[in-house]
Amino acid sequence: MSNEVRLQVKNVCKSFGITKAVQNVSFNINKGEVHALIGENGSGKSTLTNMLTGIYPIDSGIFILDGKEIHPKNQIEANNEGVSIIVQELGTLSGLTVAENIFLGHEDRFVKAGIKNTNAMNKEADALLKKYGFERIKAAHMIDEYNFEDRKLVEIVKATYFSPKIVVIDETTTALSQEGREELYKHMERIRNEGNSIIFISHDLPEILDKSDTITVLRDGVYIDTVKSKDMTEDDLKKLMVGREMTGKYYRADYGEKVSDEVVLSVKNVTVPGLIYDVSFDLHKGEILGFGGLSESGMHEVGKAIFGASFDREGSVTLADGTQINDIPTAIKNEIAYTSKDRDNESIVINQSIGDNICLPSLGKLGSGPLKLLSDKKLRAFSDKYAKEISVKMVNTDQFVSELSGGNKQKVVLARWIGRDSDIIVLDSPTRGIDIKVKQDIYQLMDQMRKDGKSIIMISEELMELIGMCDRILIMKDGKISGQLDRNPDMDENSLISMMV
Amino acid sequence: MANENANAVSKEKELNKFSKMAMLRRLLPVVGLVAIFILFNVLTGGRMISNMNLVLSQVYVTMIASMGVFFVMTMGGLDFSQGSILGISSIVVCVLTQSFPLPVAILGGIVTGAAIGAINGFFYVNRKIKSFIVTICTMFLLRGVIKYLTTDAPIAGSATLINYDTTMMKLLCTVIVLVIGFIVFRYTKFGIYLKAIGAGEKAAKFAGIRTDRMKFLIYVLAGAITGFAAFINVVKVGSVTSSGGNQLETQILIALVLGGMPISGGANVRFENIIVGSMLFIVLQSGLTMMGISTQMLQLIEGIVFLVFVAVFADRKSLQVIK
Amino acid sequence: MSSSMKTTEKKKLSGKAKGYLILIVLLVASWVIFKIATPGNFGSPKQMLQYFQASLLAATGAVGFYFVMVMGMFDFSIGANIVLSSILGCVLATNFGLGYVGFVVGSIVCGALVGLLNGAFYVKLRIPSMIVTTGLALIYEAVANYIAGGVEQTLPSDMRAFGSMPGNVILAVISFIVAYIFLNYTKVGTYTYAIGSNEFVAKNMGINVNKYKVIAFLISGAFFGVEAILSISYGSSMVAVTGMASMSRNFIPTMGCFFGMAFRKYGIPIQAIIIGEFVINIIFYGFIALGAPTAIQDVITGLALLIIITLTTRVDKGEIVK
Repeated sequence: MSNEVRLQVKNVCKSFGITKAVQNVSFNINKGEVHALIGENGSGKSTLTNMLTGIYPIDSGIFILDGKEIHPKNQIEANNEGVSIIVQELGTLSGLTVAENIFLGHEDRFVKAGIKNTNAMNKEADALLKKYGFERIKAAHMIDEYNFEDRKLVEIVKATYFSPKIVVIDETTTALSQEGREELYKHMERIRNEGNSIIFISHDLPEILDKSDTITVLRDGVYIDTVKSKDMTEDDLKKLMVGREMTGKYYRADYGEKVSDEVVLSVKNVTVPGLIYDVSFDLHKGEILGFGGLSESGMHEVGKAIFGASFDREGSVTLADGTQINDIPTAIKNEIAYTSKDRDNESIVINQSIGDNICLPSLGKLGSGPLKLLSDKKLRAFSDKYAKEISVKMVNTDQFVSELSGGNKQKVVLARWIGRDSDIIVLDSPTRGIDIKVKQDIYQLMDQMRKDGKSIIMISEELMELIGMCDRILIMKDGKISGQLDRNPDMDENSLISMMV
Repeated sequence: MANENANAVSKEKELNKFSKMAMLRRLLPVVGLVAIFILFNVLTGGRMISNMNLVLSQVYVTMIASMGVFFVMTMGGLDFSQGSILGISSIVVCVLTQSFPLPVAILGGIVTGAAIGAINGFFYVNRKIKSFIVTICTMFLLRGVIKYLTTDAPIAGSATLINYDTTMMKLLCTVIVLVIGFIVFRYTKFGIYLKAIGAGEKAAKFAGIRTDRMKFLIYVLAGAITGFAAFINVVKVGSVTSSGGNQLETQILIALVLGGMPISGGANVRFENIIVGSMLFIVLQSGLTMMGISTQMLQLIEGIVFLVFVAVFADRKSLQVIK
Repeated sequence: MSSSMKTTEKKKLSGKAKGYLILIVLLVASWVIFKIATPGNFGSPKQMLQYFQASLLAATGAVGFYFVMVMGMFDFSIGANIVLSSILGCVLATNFGLGYVGFVVGSIVCGALVGLLNGAFYVKLRIPSMIVTTGLALIYEAVANYIAGGVEQTLPSDMRAFGSMPGNVILAVISFIVAYIFLNYTKVGTYTYAIGSNEFVAKNMGINVNKYKVIAFLISGAFFGVEAILSISYGSSMVAVTGMASMSRNFIPTMGCFFGMAFRKYGIPIQAIIIGEFVINIIFYGFIALGAPTAIQDVITGLALLIIITLTTRVDKGEIVK
């Protein structure tokens, strides 16, 4: 590692509608270092690197790579500048061969007089794969023939074969098995030793401390600090990430309150093929039950399974009065509410008004007369009431949800279920991508609901909020429940993590 | 703080601009209708007004059938089989009037339409085939059936049908159907459900709407409505030839688009789209015909106007990927 | 890992063979069924050759249309394009005395131009392709009618080299080879699959998505131009229909494309389109041999397309289909 600057990030800003995703961020990345970028969900890490690699356009500010300002318009231009990225999701394209994927956008090298020399391309791709030690992946094969893990390995080749000056690795490790991770670490080490730099994004703090040289912390799109890994502990990092709100009435403050013995929902032997296996638990009245685990642990599917939204579900979800929940309408009729992790697609109808969104599940109750006719006035009064009660920031309820920020969208979702007066509330990643202030509102609301005798299931990838809010936490691993922890002021993330991995 | 205020102001401005645009879109079809109506009356020396009965006589079937397709398109689907449904249902109505009382014949037409709608719905919902592909298949398939059934001679209905061919009767039927449709769409939960499915099907499902059942039933309903329109059609034409109901699907599509309906459905559709659209279409068509414009020219103009209106009213925001 | 390796290796080796096997079974089965049903007037080698020649028409259009379909787009103006291109080619050849050159170049360039317009309107207006092409089809039909002057255009008998062997086969084979090269040996082919797979990712990778969408329409249009040449040569004349009646010509090429899409996983889409169109034609002529009335042809076409799509579409739970 040297102290020569490779990349300068200068006053970079990016907004999505009214949400400021990245605000005036500046810092430097040196040559030959693994530079970690950390922060909670929605802190702007991916947005920043997506601008660097040309996936998003930059609103304002500049990136200076080796003294030269770069403005890539897409990944290929970024590659030509010497920047590449391995993305969180699948970054390879189905329907193409391995070689076509590796050289996508760079085919011109193999094209003569308009005709592509597929053989030469395959040969070079095979040679690269061999060099990386991935001989079992064949260049001429369709990428579809390989599993997620192998496709990630192909992405490693794709992103690094041309020795880029900067490689961004965006939360790739969470999706990989230990073997896959080791493979990735090996190549990170190699790139670093060649004098090039890596921007490493991960939620796994021990991994960050172990693998990175320098760490930059972002919070709510704002630059917080850049520190040396060797000087830091996990707790230090957490403090930097979460910041001021560690104090004050943020999470619940109470401990030792007894949870009612009354079971309101009983989940027995629930299996969703390929996702969760034989999950059983009880939910009590007035309880906040947490589900923690890695993103792929199956915990998100548990929420869907309770709500009757899973496909091919086996086992039973039963209410206190014996009602079986097998589909969404039955769930809603029996006052179960659900907010999805995929807020824009599953929780809320983005391209519809706030008013209609709030009224949707309650429409059956709002009709009057023998024909159950709805009046605009009544619907407006209903949606106004709940939108104001939870203080959604909006012009009026005719406004489309698509114009709201993430936090306010989530508030509309919550207003809908409060309006429906649901008794069992399943919240999947309720604070994902939401700023601290709204987060605090949501936590307070959850606490209030709990006190009102509602039961809440909270599924979250953020361990701190689980520890702060839940009466009981179930940890999921590989689709099964791997452990349980009760509310306790001494609980820390490590005890959860040990059960997760 | 001041900054925040400024933000709010600029946002309000933006919203204002947005609602102005929405207003423009809402008014354009109506203003267009009035404008071309006046224009054609001037150009034809008032012939259009004096022939209003004739002009209107063409609108009933289109308007009624448009309502079914309006529901389908609100959910984001398409239906190209309406012309063939009209043809088949008309044949059924004709045959039934020969030996059964009229209500049975009307019911027969409706049931036939509903059954074809159910076939569309089955392939679309259960087999997950894109709606436009399913419906062009049934369109073509049924067109063949119509041709086959009318190979030797047109199928004629009972001679007594002519007694019902009054403007009053047809107008009343159309108004009743539209009023029922309007109330159901505007003042019951189904309207909001349909719009929600069109705007975001997954989210609609998670809000407790039985989307698959709804989609299936709407196709059945659209078929049934056109099945009813078949009765009006038969009353008007008396018999069905191999081209019975030909082109109705294209007319409906053009009519709805002219009425300002966003092609992908969703929350921005309005019930008025049906009425204004079918009127605009018929006035445009009869006006141009009255002025002695050739069929090709008429089709050319229709094509151009159609594209312009689609471009103006398309709801591009809700289409992330446009295929 | 190594054992799973072996199985993928094996699957790969037999992939193409398996695809061909299915196609040949389909071919033989359709022949056998009708041969048993009506042994006298169906399926002699000579007749099979006729069926094959008839199937080349739609097959040439379908191999071009495949580029559009792979990207997930659609085209309702196929029939209108064929009508317009063949009439223009015919008029250039006869009224303008440009002979074969005017006929062939005119039809293909006209087809490509129509494709270009489809693509340009689709990309610029940002409206679903099937809607844009519906509107444009109305216009193309009207234009074709103007050019034809409302009368049927007949190709002079000394210009029908592409209506029979070997002219039609040569032209078709050239088209197939061109399509094959485009698909497998150019950037266009790779990008077509990339955009079809995931537009967003493709865009992020630096592919000019809109440009390649227009190119796909252009290619598709040019191949329909070739189909236009074969169609008017085969049928000797063309009527400039109006009122979207040209839509009926959309079906057979579309059917072939669905064959191509279904056999893409075996790596032989172009081959599947050619053989698929042949199978469809065998079935048609089989029904004719059975004495089915001509009106029933449309029923068979509609039903066949529906069945082919039903068989080749995978039902994914929770997938949103519009």
